[in-house]
Amino acid sequence: MDLGQIVFNLLALGAAYALVALGFVLILNATGAVNFAQGDLVMAGGFAAVSFASMLDWPGVLLLPLVMAGLALVGVAVALVAYLPLRRRPPESVFISTIAVGIIAQNAATLGFGAQARAAPPLLPGGDGPGQKLAIILVAAALIGALYVMFMHTQTGRRLRATAQDRDIAAAIGIRVDAMVIATFAVAASLAGAAGLLLANLFFVTPVDGANYILKAYIAVTIGGWGSIAGAVTGALLIALFEVLWPALPLLLPGLDAISGAFSQTMSTIALDIVILLLLMLRPQGLFGQAARSRA
Amino acid sequence: MHTALRAALLATLAAAPLAAVPCLARAAELDIPVLVPITGFLAVEGASQRNGAVLALRKPPAGITIKSSVIDTGTSPEVAVNALERALSDGAVAAAVAPMLGTQMLALLPVAEENKVPLITISGTAAITQKHNPYIFRFFPGDDVAKAAQVRYAIDHFKIAHPAILYQTTAYGQSGHAEILARLKEAAITPVYEDGLDVAVKDLAPSLAKARAAGADSLLLQLHGGPTALLMKAVAASGWKVAIIAGSGLTQPATTALLEPGELAGACAETSASPESRETPAMAAFVDAYRAAFDATPDGFALAQYDATNMVLAAAAQGARTAADITKALATMQYDGLAMRYRSDGTGNMAHSAVIVCYDGASRVPRVAWHFDKTP
Repeated sequence: MDLGQIVFNLLALGAAYALVALGFVLILNATGAVNFAQGDLVMAGGFAAVSFASMLDWPGVLLLPLVMAGLALVGVAVALVAYLPLRRRPPESVFISTIAVGIIAQNAATLGFGAQARAAPPLLPGGDGPGQKLAIILVAAALIGALYVMFMHTQTGRRLRATAQDRDIAAAIGIRVDAMVIATFAVAASLAGAAGLLLANLFFVTPVDGANYILKAYIAVTIGGWGSIAGAVTGALLIALFEVLWPALPLLLPGLDAISGAFSQTMSTIALDIVILLLLMLRPQGLFGQAARSRA
Repeated sequence: MHTALRAALLATLAAAPLAAVPCLARAAELDIPVLVPITGFLAVEGASQRNGAVLALRKPPAGITIKSSVIDTGTSPEVAVNALERALSDGAVAAAVAPMLGTQMLALLPVAEENKVPLITISGTAAITQKHNPYIFRFFPGDDVAKAAQVRYAIDHFKIAHPAILYQTTAYGQSGHAEILARLKEAAITPVYEDGLDVAVKDLAPSLAKARAAGADSLLLQLHGGPTALLMKAVAASGWKVAIIAGSGLTQPATTALLEPGELAGACAETSASPESRETPAMAAFVDAYRAAFDATPDGFALAQYDATNMVLAAAAQGARTAADITKALATMQYDGLAMRYRSDGTGNMAHSAVIVCYDGASRVPRVAWHFDKTP
């Protein structure tokens, strides 16, 4: 296993995690609330891909638009049920309502698909291994690029950013804030759906996966800076770095053999958490965050 | 007044047999709750456990009726304790099907002892039968049996000399890891690489590469089903031709369904039994009945819990009616189940056999390669 292969694996995993974290941070910016159902939307995306594949027998790259569209509708439903009725309540209300949505999604998946793991089809026909990972990196990069273009170079994007910066001012200048929030939920859920499809081929999907993904998204956004889009991507890559590169370091640096126990999979988790603690102490606003932002 | 009294007495006498019927019926009713993890990371195995128990309870012996409900224990000890206490509060429980998760079983031990209720389980965690608790009966070969079979087959058949061990950091994984190390030590073999993996770890390639770099000639696995499938895929993708002797996670149909037959080629695994291999007509009939009932293929966990529950029903058929009767019967009876012959070793270990199954690369259904019986 050489450095190139490790970096390749790291980027593939990090790219998928970045999509999860991006959806999380979009809703955070648009509403000021944490969507704890984001991880379960990733899980739902994985099962949506499994379902569509059983009906259509298409490769993942053709299923991707369907999954993203389906999850966008789910995102609209989440906004209508779990956010808009509670938007004038304390933020804790939305935390709880999105946790409830996540639990419902998890149990619905258990009822609908059973508890066993399922695999989504590869992005490319017959694709396993390096080709699949390269496809994941390219698809994730394309989605992040499209998101950037939409936010920075379209009127809708400008309205979404205005809503994220200050909902009251946005409403005062005539932006339909609720519509923008619903659109943000739809975009965030479609990103979660894409991540679900990408992850469910390489790593399978089970109904209980959501908790793991929301934890990674939360950590990524905390590392990167609460509300920072660039920070969310950086944080996701850092998590993947610890999951993939840290355990492989003794392979790359034979001098570390003497302390190879420090580079086990278990130790990689501990090392990541130590870095997070240090970061919170030394730079609590995160790598790209602003010092004044509040954290949930 | 006299007439009225006589009429009342006659009415009471006439009613007595009618009242006795339900009394007798109640006396022949056994309350056997099924407490299993059907949500959480052990949901697949828990569903097998539930299905095995439910299938057995659907056919009680003549003269016995069963009162039973399925209660989800999730994956936390306190939920399992609450589930058992709730079941016990509903009435006189004769025996309880108890969860396979070792940490939950350890929490249930004092509750069972306090209420003097036998728990029948398929938990493989060694510690549950090492606490001198007379109410625990384990119908799945403990790690001392299963890991002995796994290591012995690896040494005898694959001639391993430099194994790598990959295990889960859960109680299941750590318990099995300790037993594998002990069995290897008995054979004077030292593993060249060991790594504990969290169930959430996605990319197993680094662990695999380190095992390969350490000069491993074999992989001894103690992983849950999903991570086992991830590892098998990673091995196949790496092109490394290495002997794989896995834990029972590989033998679950839900695991093999995630893999192409070619990715299984040459791998072997220990398990209590392999019902889908249809070794006997009785086993084949069980598989057919299970499929008809649950639209799924049974694994070794389902069969073990089926056998365990049927042993309780066999005790009831011989007259056991109370928790005390059934505890005594389980501690002293010998029962020929579909998977093996069950008898207590005095500490509640009922299963003393395991099988090794191997995959030929053409099918997801394994063949039974070896039967292992632990000598007393």
